[in-house]
Amino acid sequence: MTSTSTAPTRVASSGDISSGALRNAAAGFGIMIGFIVRRNWLRMLIWLIVLAGMIVLVIDSQRELFPTQADRDAYAQVANTPAIAALTGLPYAAGTLGGILNIKIWMTMAIALSFAVIFLVTRNGRAEEEAGRTELLRAGVLGQHAYSLANWSVFSGFAVLVGLASAGAALSQGLPAAGAFLMGASFTGTALVFLGVAAIAGQLTRTSGGANGLASTVLGVSYLVRAVADVQADGDKANWLTWLSPIGWAQQSRSYGENDWWPLLLCVGAAVILCWIALTLERGRDLGAGLIAERVGPREASAALRTQVGLALRLQRGSIIGWTLGIVAFALFFGGVATAMADLLSGDNPIAQAFIGDSKNVLDGLLGFFLMANALLVAAFVLHSTDSIRAAESAGRTEMQWSSAISRVRWAGARMIVPAVSSLVLLAISGAAIGATFGAAVGKPDQAGRFTMASLAYWPSALLVIGVVVLSAALIPRAAAAVTWALYGVAVVLSMFGDLFSLPDWVSKNTPFTAIPRLDMDFTIVPLLVITVLAVGAGGVGLWVLRERDMTSA
Amino acid sequence: MTSNRAVSVESLEKNFGSTRALDGLNLEIETGTVAGFLGPNGSGKTTTIRILLGLLRADGGRATLLGGDPWKDAVELHRRIAYVAGDVTLWPSLTGGQAIGILGSLRGDHDPKRVDAYLERFDLDPTKKARSYSKGNRQKVGLVAAFASRAELLFLDEPTNGLDPLMEGVFTECVAEAKAEGRSVLLSSHIFAEVEKLCDTVTIIRDGRTVESGTLAELRHLQRSTITVTLEGNPRALGSIDGVHDLVADGGHATFTVDSAALPKVLAALSPLGPRELVSTPPSLEELFLRHYGVHPASVDAESDAPAAASAAKAARR
Repeated sequence: MTSTSTAPTRVASSGDISSGALRNAAAGFGIMIGFIVRRNWLRMLIWLIVLAGMIVLVIDSQRELFPTQADRDAYAQVANTPAIAALTGLPYAAGTLGGILNIKIWMTMAIALSFAVIFLVTRNGRAEEEAGRTELLRAGVLGQHAYSLANWSVFSGFAVLVGLASAGAALSQGLPAAGAFLMGASFTGTALVFLGVAAIAGQLTRTSGGANGLASTVLGVSYLVRAVADVQADGDKANWLTWLSPIGWAQQSRSYGENDWWPLLLCVGAAVILCWIALTLERGRDLGAGLIAERVGPREASAALRTQVGLALRLQRGSIIGWTLGIVAFALFFGGVATAMADLLSGDNPIAQAFIGDSKNVLDGLLGFFLMANALLVAAFVLHSTDSIRAAESAGRTEMQWSSAISRVRWAGARMIVPAVSSLVLLAISGAAIGATFGAAVGKPDQAGRFTMASLAYWPSALLVIGVVVLSAALIPRAAAAVTWALYGVAVVLSMFGDLFSLPDWVSKNTPFTAIPRLDMDFTIVPLLVITVLAVGAGGVGLWVLRERDMTSA
Repeated sequence: MTSNRAVSVESLEKNFGSTRALDGLNLEIETGTVAGFLGPNGSGKTTTIRILLGLLRADGGRATLLGGDPWKDAVELHRRIAYVAGDVTLWPSLTGGQAIGILGSLRGDHDPKRVDAYLERFDLDPTKKARSYSKGNRQKVGLVAAFASRAELLFLDEPTNGLDPLMEGVFTECVAEAKAEGRSVLLSSHIFAEVEKLCDTVTIIRDGRTVESGTLAELRHLQRSTITVTLEGNPRALGSIDGVHDLVADGGHATFTVDSAALPKVLAALSPLGPRELVSTPPSLEELFLRHYGVHPASVDAESDAPAAASAAKAARR
């Protein structure tokens, strides 16, 4: 390739990138594009279908919810509450179907696509470098920047495609073309900024976990800055603080409203600058190293670390802290917006029915729904935590541990105690947080206790997750992660939207999460006992199988 | 009796699906000795060790470890053994020192002073996170944890994988000391010099079956030595002696191989020929090993004829 013609006389010096040197540094770029696309096309396709499909579903449901212009105008009168502004941004064109679409789904889409891009860039960038595979490629005829440039290009292209698909989905539902294309472009613009953020994060940290964490933190801060800005907005006119957040830029294009394209230039400009900075950082560092130095650690294992539970806690420390902060933040939001949302939901429309069940008290029904959604989040943490049993075996770490003086049952037991106890604590804290913020909003400060108890009712369901994960890790160690997350996905869809699928009652009311009596229902202990028995059964069989079977070779 | 045997394995069998990994393997380790375990990749060494560690369950045969059953009594037995894998996998977010502490505490004999001494000998920095260790350094973590333990029996599965020659020297010392302390060692290795230097007995396996075992001297006894002589007389007469093979004579110089049983006859025939120089080389472990695989050290490129050569070698031994 180009390198062979110029390489002998020209060595890319650090400092300046003349065009020849850049061509050298990008040698093999085209091949890498093909390579990355081949390894990720299915993953990208699934994201694309899910995200564009969400647009279609939401437009459809909103058309049903607000069938006439009079309905939409009525909604526009009440749409602009602080809660809506904080959660999803300023509702600026709430009298149009496009504006309602943006209120309902814009923020979810923009953030989901940004997360997708962050994870994909890290997965193909820093994670590959960490695994040592980039070294293998770079030892061949491959320029210093070719791999990174290809990585960023592929996922920029992915962001553009998702934007186009979203526009197409909106067009197919009869929304105006100008707004549809701008909406799609604003998703792409947001994602491109966070692609740049992920590109830099991948240069700074040494691990893929660190890179994802850093980029996700920037995304979270951008979201919060915008939330603060939008709460202080004057009517539907943005506050100046909005311009401090990339999410704010994209949202200020106001698709279906004023349709301004120019804020998206900020997004594209920021993405180019961030990637340029990342390139400069990459030029200055060694392969495999991060710019944030690896700290040395203790030379001795502490007393706590020498117990199995202590070790499991230490290994999951970062993950537990992250999940706790996320779940509590969510709970505070849930509690704060409940009253605002209850005003909007009248008890007789089908979507509201789906969310709040047969409850006579709309507000309690909604809060009960939030508590269940919160329990589902806790369950995701529990799944992630318990999955460490499978992960340790597949990474080969069990070989030395199981050769030590500890039985497999005790070893796995410690890794089950951690999610069991943390889920109990998390359910209590987040239930109390929902109750406290809700109580503060309606001036009834004594709500925390009632909500904590209702939240704790989901503990058996969390234990069932532990049992099922252990059983899968024991029976089907290689497929366990995929199977358990798929089961979790089914449980989420059945719990949140089960009524929308017109499933028979005995199905939709008897899933591990819907069977638990909700806040507004009469409490009965029976489902909790049944689920606990199932959890203990699954966990017990799982441990027995784990003890009796061969270790899986790494 | 098994009482003086650290490990006793008889006709061990293990299948992975339709693959037969172990097919009647035998292995004995006398207490206080170092046993070498040789075999090419995929011959079943690691599978055997994993069965002895209770990580895998045997499909047939009998295995006894320190007088107990490696599967049923796993936890109790593991207090008395230490294991170093060929590829030590650690917790990426913990330091080497923490990993050693955790492994030692699991066994219940963690001794910081001993650990420090071995850390120094292996020149390992225990404050680095495991993810920043090279392959060799990860092996050192496993080795320090094993040698610093009070385990009676050490399983070392290609432990010097990735170690530099200096560290291999330290490793050799450590194994010799372990033996002096009365501990038993199973050393699986590809490094013949290491095994020749350290091991009291050697077991060679092929396709999950033991093909040779015994002390190095016993193994050598079964094989021909190579003799090189310079004579005043004509060496051609040697060719007629039963037990002399591969004679190459060139004037007064001659090279041939001889069955150990024929050695007295050969020496008797040599004296009248006026020997001026005589060098006898016993078969190296490498030669012993390679003969089982039909590859002669001198003609490694004949590997493609392995099956034919192997049967020829077997016939020659009989």
